[in-house]
Amino acid sequence: MIAEETLLNELKQLETQAKAFEVLVNTYKERLYWHIRRIVLNHDDTDDVLQNTFIKVFKNIAGFKGDSKLYSWMYRIATNEALTFLKKKSNKLGISNLELQDKIVSNLQADVYFEGDEIQLKLQKAIATLPEKQKLVFNMKYYQEMKYEEISEILNTSVGGLKASYHLAVKKVETYLKGD
Amino acid sequence: MNKKNNKKNFKTPEGYFEGFSDRLLDRMSDTKGNQESSLLPKSDGFMLPDGYFDSLNKNIQEKLNDEVPKVITLNRWHKFYYYAAAAVAAIVLLTIGIRTNVSEEQTFEGLAKTEIEDYFNNTDLGLSSYEIAEVISVDELEISDIMDNKIEAENIIDYLDNSIENIEELNLTDYEY
Repeated sequence: MIAEETLLNELKQLETQAKAFEVLVNTYKERLYWHIRRIVLNHDDTDDVLQNTFIKVFKNIAGFKGDSKLYSWMYRIATNEALTFLKKKSNKLGISNLELQDKIVSNLQADVYFEGDEIQLKLQKAIATLPEKQKLVFNMKYYQEMKYEEISEILNTSVGGLKASYHLAVKKVETYLKGD
Repeated sequence: MNKKNNKKNFKTPEGYFEGFSDRLLDRMSDTKGNQESSLLPKSDGFMLPDGYFDSLNKNIQEKLNDEVPKVITLNRWHKFYYYAAAAVAAIVLLTIGIRTNVSEEQTFEGLAKTEIEDYFNNTDLGLSSYEIAEVISVDELEISDIMDNKIEAENIIDYLDNSIENIEELNLTDYEY
């Protein structure tokens, strides 16, 4: 894999920009896709948000100072884009964020790109009940198996706070799944 | 036996308390331990269209190209037409503006009562009820100013009777049921 610093330099130079951007997209597309997908759940919406994320990255790369790692910065953009997308959607429909989450999870049953069984659907319902931060930490830790230090850099939260959030999230999800 | 069993009799390993909260949090969030006994499925059932990632790069490039604004070159004649159109539009707008100002001056009396009510209902004036109370003297205020229906003493007693467990506790005097 190409070193981050080299990639960054190439992205900032006009002659090498196009090729470097292609490398960047190929390197991070899958990780960012699954990160966004677990927030917005639907494939078509994920595709929109993912493309917008890469476009934002491309347009703002010149201003990237390198204070954090490139992938953390991209994850942060992807997270913001996904959450903003959901907020806009709930505003447009005139419903609360929680009602929207319910609606999206209910739509999963009819989604051709969701082949989860009953327990996986119930898991999505459980995750939908979590507060925003816990939901993000749960998805990043449980499914993406990211390190706390990485999540900390992306979400700008202390490692201790993340561990507590994750613990709470797992307990809540387990309690939900045990219910009924 | 010395009941004052003080701290000196027991010892903790050096640095025990310094690292305690970290160790606790680690144990709480120990994913391995949680997952082994967990009901949580490891896969989430999400799928995606075949070949989606292969065409993603191309789709992003297309979207990026669409966002670059097209540059339209103006030749001299075009420029002349644009200036002429702009001048005509400016004259029309100025004429309409002047005539409107002369004939329709907004007055407070001209505003419909509903418009004023709507303004107060929909605008956050940033005034608390205490601030409003400071401006409007109680002597000048009648209950009928803010309520359409007149409230009889009887209605108040009925309300209190229904919403308070023991009306006697209010120590009301001179009331009639």
